[in-house]
Amino acid sequence: MTVTQETNAAEELRVVGKRLPKLDAPQKVTGQTVYAADVHMPGLLYGAILRSPHAHARIRSIDVSAAEQLPGVRAVIHAGNVEQRPYGYGQDNIPLKPDKVRFVGDEVAAVAAIDEETAHRALELIRVDYEVLPAVFDPFESLAQEFPLIHDELPDLIGNVSMRWDFEDGDVDAAAAEAAVVVEGDYSSPQAAPAPIETHAVIASFAPDGHLTVWSPVHMVFMYRKELADCLGLDWRHITVIQPPVGGSFGGKIDIDPHDFITVMLALQARRPVRLVMSREEEFIGTRTRQPIHIRLRTGADAEGNLLFRDADVVSDNGAYNGWGSHAMLVAMNTITSMYRVPNSRIRSSVVYTNKNYGGSVRGFGNPQATFAVEQQMEELADALGIDPMDLRLRNANQSGDVTPQGMEITSCGLSECLRIVREQSGWDERRGKLRERNRGLGAAALIHVGGGARIYGSDGCGAIVKVDDSGQVTLITGASELGQGSETTLAMIVAEEMGVPLDAVHVINSNTDVKPWDVGVHASRTTFVAGNAARMAAAKARDQLLETASELLGAPIDELHVRDGTVEVVGAPERQIDYARLARRRLLREEGSVVMASAFYDPPTQKQVDHRGNISAAYGFGAHVAEVEVDPGTGMVRLLNLWTAHDVGRAINPMSCEGQIEGGAAMGVGLALSEELVIFDGEIVAPNLHDYGMPTTADVPRIVVNLVETIDPLGPFGAKGVGEAGIIPPPAAIANAIADATGIRPRAYPMRPWKVKEWIDTEERSHVIENGSPVDG
Amino acid sequence: MAELFVPQTLDEAVGFLESHAGSATPIAGGTDVMIDLRTGGVRTEWLVDLSSLGSLAGIDLDGEQLRLGALTKIRALEVDSRLARRATALVEAARVLGSVQIRTMATLGGNLCHATPSAEMPPALLVHDAVVEIAGAAGERSLPLADLFAGPGRTTLEPGELLTAVRLRIPASAAGSCYLRQTVRWSMDLAGVGVAASMEVDGAAIVQARVALGAVAPVPLIVPEAAEAVVGSELSPATALEAGARAAAACSPISDVRGSADYRRAVVSILVQRALRIAWLRATGDWPEGLLAPINGLLAEEPA
Amino acid sequence: MRVELSVNGDLYRRESEPDLTLLALLRDVLELTGTKWGCLTGDCGACTVLVDGEPIVSCLQLARQVEGREVTTVEGLAGNGALDSLQAAFVSNGAAQCGFCTPGMIVSAEALLRARPSPSEAEIREALSGNLCRCTGYNKIIDAVLEAAGSRGAAA
Repeated sequence: MTVTQETNAAEELRVVGKRLPKLDAPQKVTGQTVYAADVHMPGLLYGAILRSPHAHARIRSIDVSAAEQLPGVRAVIHAGNVEQRPYGYGQDNIPLKPDKVRFVGDEVAAVAAIDEETAHRALELIRVDYEVLPAVFDPFESLAQEFPLIHDELPDLIGNVSMRWDFEDGDVDAAAAEAAVVVEGDYSSPQAAPAPIETHAVIASFAPDGHLTVWSPVHMVFMYRKELADCLGLDWRHITVIQPPVGGSFGGKIDIDPHDFITVMLALQARRPVRLVMSREEEFIGTRTRQPIHIRLRTGADAEGNLLFRDADVVSDNGAYNGWGSHAMLVAMNTITSMYRVPNSRIRSSVVYTNKNYGGSVRGFGNPQATFAVEQQMEELADALGIDPMDLRLRNANQSGDVTPQGMEITSCGLSECLRIVREQSGWDERRGKLRERNRGLGAAALIHVGGGARIYGSDGCGAIVKVDDSGQVTLITGASELGQGSETTLAMIVAEEMGVPLDAVHVINSNTDVKPWDVGVHASRTTFVAGNAARMAAAKARDQLLETASELLGAPIDELHVRDGTVEVVGAPERQIDYARLARRRLLREEGSVVMASAFYDPPTQKQVDHRGNISAAYGFGAHVAEVEVDPGTGMVRLLNLWTAHDVGRAINPMSCEGQIEGGAAMGVGLALSEELVIFDGEIVAPNLHDYGMPTTADVPRIVVNLVETIDPLGPFGAKGVGEAGIIPPPAAIANAIADATGIRPRAYPMRPWKVKEWIDTEERSHVIENGSPVDG
Repeated sequence: MAELFVPQTLDEAVGFLESHAGSATPIAGGTDVMIDLRTGGVRTEWLVDLSSLGSLAGIDLDGEQLRLGALTKIRALEVDSRLARRATALVEAARVLGSVQIRTMATLGGNLCHATPSAEMPPALLVHDAVVEIAGAAGERSLPLADLFAGPGRTTLEPGELLTAVRLRIPASAAGSCYLRQTVRWSMDLAGVGVAASMEVDGAAIVQARVALGAVAPVPLIVPEAAEAVVGSELSPATALEAGARAAAACSPISDVRGSADYRRAVVSILVQRALRIAWLRATGDWPEGLLAPINGLLAEEPA
Repeated sequence: MRVELSVNGDLYRRESEPDLTLLALLRDVLELTGTKWGCLTGDCGACTVLVDGEPIVSCLQLARQVEGREVTTVEGLAGNGALDSLQAAFVSNGAAQCGFCTPGMIVSAEALLRARPSPSEAEIREALSGNLCRCTGYNKIIDAVLEAAGSRGAAA
């Protein structure tokens, strides 16, 4: 279902708003798409990485002589025989560890050989002498004590705290004293994995002149190129990054990782192209994860249900290195201060190092974790106040025109509409609280997330070039990257709409840094909004070039011209017409001819947050989910029966694609809620395989109901806002609330695997409620 | 890298395995062996491909006697309508083993001989008094299925011996069985606890019962004292509860990533009660014929 | 060791390592890279192919064990450059996003439709539960299989 709140009557859309198949789908369904691991090239070597078996150890020595002598081995590298510099946020990481390893999986050495088997045999011949050091795995232990120090080489660091994120707005203590009801509790989340079905695969090849070409599924390609150059001492003008089709990322492939540098270093030493493909085990052990975040939260309200304050103590367990994963706290903070209207808020938070695989920028980026706490407390509060949780939400819902405590300017907001839709579809008013006899329950959760970029870098921009060649073919060259999410098709639709051509007249080029204009990268649900605006701007300019020529040829002013299906007509005299191909040729072939081509760069009007204040995004997305579960009181097994969702997408450029993003995101959220976890024992991931990890199957995800709410954002392309991450955010909270409704217990952590649910049932875990200053039984 | 030997007869297979004891590993469906080879769990010089020994596959039902060839695919058990009626536990175990693809490849003999403590098929066979037939260089022998298992990943087969068939009795009427399990996901998962129960009734009394457990001891367990708790009368909540308690006491689960020992014991008790109840409903004709139970046995009318 | 088998109707004879998997034979020897892999433990289903019409995970299948049998991969479904009805339904329903699980998913669905031409949604979920998809949440995949079953039924 699509609900459009406002329509712009003047805007008649022919392509935007249609359910159109992805342009790349025919190749994908026939197996013709060539992913990185499918590339064949002459002389290709196979790379493999030796990883630390210890969570924390000093490297005394490395002996690679036996590996080097193995026939078929073309390169063996380690910190002692390569040039490399620290890289990453906080410069706390380096590709091949010179003196110390900090988690099980840290990169120590690597080989390139003529085949996989030889490469792995060579790894077995490398001798590393480690001095095992005490390790710390619990973030609270890491926070409390200064020993063992994980990054003793960083002089400014105090203990193992890598960053602090503190914020205060209003007067929380005064608000707490006034509150009729306060709920307080601890909410935790595990280390989880993006787990795309395609594991990471990278190919590096140096031309005889020293030019480096890297094929990588990374989706911040320009930063990737710069980091490769900075870390390895290469000239970044002589690096081309090509992004082959990507077999899913979900943030797992966003950033540069040690294996990227390692593949390049292997190619450099071997003087042959090298491909490194991760096994599934390596993917879990050695690529970026979703950081566990532990939140102690208090929320207070007055007797009518007006929220008075939120107060949070947060520890983000980001593992052995910082990376961008440390910034998951930024998003978690946005939700704690700005999900619903909260007049007073306070957050004290620490990002700590532990001797574990480190966090990255996985879909939702801190938001599912924060929403799990915030939205459970909305229902806990409502129940304590005797108010329906949906009424409590509607009373406090964000509205268009609001500016949140962190300075986020909400220009379009369909939150209330989303809540009303899922309330009605789920039969909430008749069914919530009434299904416990059948072991069933309903629970809800809403979301706020950036939907118009997120300025965490100097520019949040994206470039676009649109050209029309002598055949009339329109080509969009965009800075954005296709990961499977459908950006290629969405951007083509925007260009087709703006140019007045059918979709199949538009080609998209988006995979080569030599060709495409700069873009920050795919993150923060920004591509439709930012790359879409850039594409639309470039398309409008190219169309204007064509209209200028058409005006001359048809003898009519531009404002009397109309474009239909790639043909320019004079309004009222459609027989006076000329198509784009002829127009392009006329411009090309005339004296002082020119090509039809235009470029644009769109950088949204946003602010980098200073002291956590500032309008970080040009638009914000909202949504609401209701989950229905059946809880087996005997085993603790939870079956998700229904999931109703409604999302404010601004405008659905391609409704089928929006649904696909939301359904897929929600299914990942279901996995977070019920099954997915990298279980770590003594610093080691116990079972790094897809069996034990717990990715949902067709038996675990019910048919997800999706409603698209169109609020027509004032700045979005045709009113669109980002939706790539939104779906994953509410399910853990909504499912926890549904389990609470079914059982009366209060979940404290996800994944809510059966034995945890059973334990909460057996120990009668309840809400902690304080009424007028005194604790009451939950 | 292993070499491959493809025997054309059972004798050839047994002979090769005996003469290469310690350096040859039989492979049938391969769904366990191939993983073990890749991860280094098995290192072997020879793989002995049994898949061309077609005579070792087949489901033969003669009256109440069922004989399942060792190379019978799990998928073949799952889709057999006779078994769905008369050996429901077997079908309920088969349908949750891996995926359709895995079940299409995996064999009954492989599932038994890999001796994974959480394997699905052993409990479902144990409640039918299964006996395994074994061929070796010294001839054939048979032994109760329970005696096949020596520990996680270990059987009592001598070097060179091959499991060739499983024999069991499936009563034609007044009987019922059920296999339930606890998992994290609702498909593609290993059992945290697996429970099978079977019974035969005469009038309103249970005259014979079996309870077997998977994943809660180093080997699949048959628990006679749990079954005895329900024999002699109709099934009541009290007798089922007693059976559950005895089963929980008899098992020796470990604590691992799939739950603590205490949790598993509690789940054993619950699932034994449910499996007995469903087996009872089947034996007394109060359960729709051929309908499989929810995998955790939770029925809609069950009180919280 | 010599292996001889039919893939998508073509007979191949190749020298191969005795413990080569069918997956490696297809991708590395025959360069039929339409078949993907995501785990090599049989847990994701990306490498699903048909052997004599039955779905198997080719990562756990010894190539030598399918000697003389007919293997069908995703490349073998489309005829004369056109899309098969399942492939067409995957396109029109938005059932392929990143596309990496898609070949295995379509092959599993093909096996189902050959065995059960008009499956229920529950039967589709059962048949596809060994094929993980991280992008779609499965809604649109199930829709695509239902639609393909309908269009085949109408054509028959």
